[in-house]
Amino acid sequence: MAASPEALSRRRSLGLLLASGSSLLLGGCALNRWSNAVGEATQPLNERIEALLQGKGMLPEFRRNQVEPEALLVNSFNGIPKLAPSSYRLVVNGMVRRPLSLDLAALAALPQRECVIRHVCVEGWAAIVAWSGPRLADVLALAGPSPLGAYLAIRSADQYFETWDLASALHPQTLLATHMNGAPLPVANGAPVRLASPIKLGYKQSKWVIELELMTSLGDRLGTWEDKGYEWFAGL
Amino acid sequence: MIATPAAPAPGPIGPSPLWTRAFHGFNLLVLLLMAASGLEIYNANPVFGGREGVTVPELFTLGGWLAGGRDWHFAVMGLYAANLGLWIGLLLRRRHRRLAGTGDLATLRGSVHPPRRRLASHRITYTLMLILLAFSLLSGLAMYKPAQLWWLVSLFAFAEPAGFSSWQTLRVCHLATIPAIAMLLVAHVVLSLRVGGLRLLRAMVL
Repeated sequence: MAASPEALSRRRSLGLLLASGSSLLLGGCALNRWSNAVGEATQPLNERIEALLQGKGMLPEFRRNQVEPEALLVNSFNGIPKLAPSSYRLVVNGMVRRPLSLDLAALAALPQRECVIRHVCVEGWAAIVAWSGPRLADVLALAGPSPLGAYLAIRSADQYFETWDLASALHPQTLLATHMNGAPLPVANGAPVRLASPIKLGYKQSKWVIELELMTSLGDRLGTWEDKGYEWFAGL
Repeated sequence: MIATPAAPAPGPIGPSPLWTRAFHGFNLLVLLLMAASGLEIYNANPVFGGREGVTVPELFTLGGWLAGGRDWHFAVMGLYAANLGLWIGLLLRRRHRRLAGTGDLATLRGSVHPPRRRLASHRITYTLMLILLAFSLLSGLAMYKPAQLWWLVSLFAFAEPAGFSSWQTLRVCHLATIPAIAMLLVAHVVLSLRVGGLRLLRAMVL
């Protein structure tokens, strides 16, 4: 390096900057180990901005004839669990006055809503899908949520785990979908019950949902993919 | 100062203001980070071909895997946007005569004087680069927040009659900024050297 402070002139330091910049392409591998630290340093601010950007109101939807069934790819982290519809129960517990165990008939008895939205995967692909089922907000309201509840933990039959901020869970277009594109939800897409929402990335939208737990704070586990490095808020 | 040569020079090349040089250098750095991490994200689901598509060699990617690529891409996007926004803002307010205008197009059409034509091409090239960088930012923003910024995504619906969804068009457009800026970058370096030689490089870098 420079022998004297003056030797590291502006010219030289800028040269070094340019050289290091151009070697980024070749030396990217060396920077890869910093990825997580870089994400942890910047995600809190990004997530705050995301939460501010996210409105509570309805987002415009697509027309029913715009759905793209072939564009919806299937991702599964642990195979496809078998859930018998007759014995299926959705458990709602945590910070609620009336813990629930709802069967499919109870979910079908709630007001049904269809949302034709763009399902966006973290991988980059997207598909317009018509999801239908009860609103997640209506299901939570049945259980008498405590005002202290701020987060929702979602457990799936395949051990997939997710946590959401309550505002996103209560969004009027966040559904517990039981139908897709007008037909009963296929097993590969999460039958009998899955999350569907226009305001979150696909990995937030758990399939094969069996338990909702209202929590006052987040625990050690943020989610199956979040714990591996994905963003937690993942707002769209 | 550098002595002005006898040949008709397009104007004296003094050192550019510090802010120009700072924005210029920093832009190059963050652009490399954005492109490399963007290609990492591309590899998770290639825009062309989807899961069966051809991926970019790891040499040109940054992040190690999808989440790592997203870590870098979203960490740098704010710096990239702030740098570019302030730079373009200051250029428009203080040095808008340096940006290309209709006069440069007229020069390209009318003039047979090679140095004039080169200068006009140079001005057009770097002005296009700034526009393209701003476009990469807007198209990226549309992909980052497609639900809240649905109106931005809907601008990319122009290829729907041809059977391409606005999302696919958006992805192609955002990706296309990389080869486009790379080509303009080559032209920019060649033209800078031809227009101002090392004097211009020194004025811009030091």
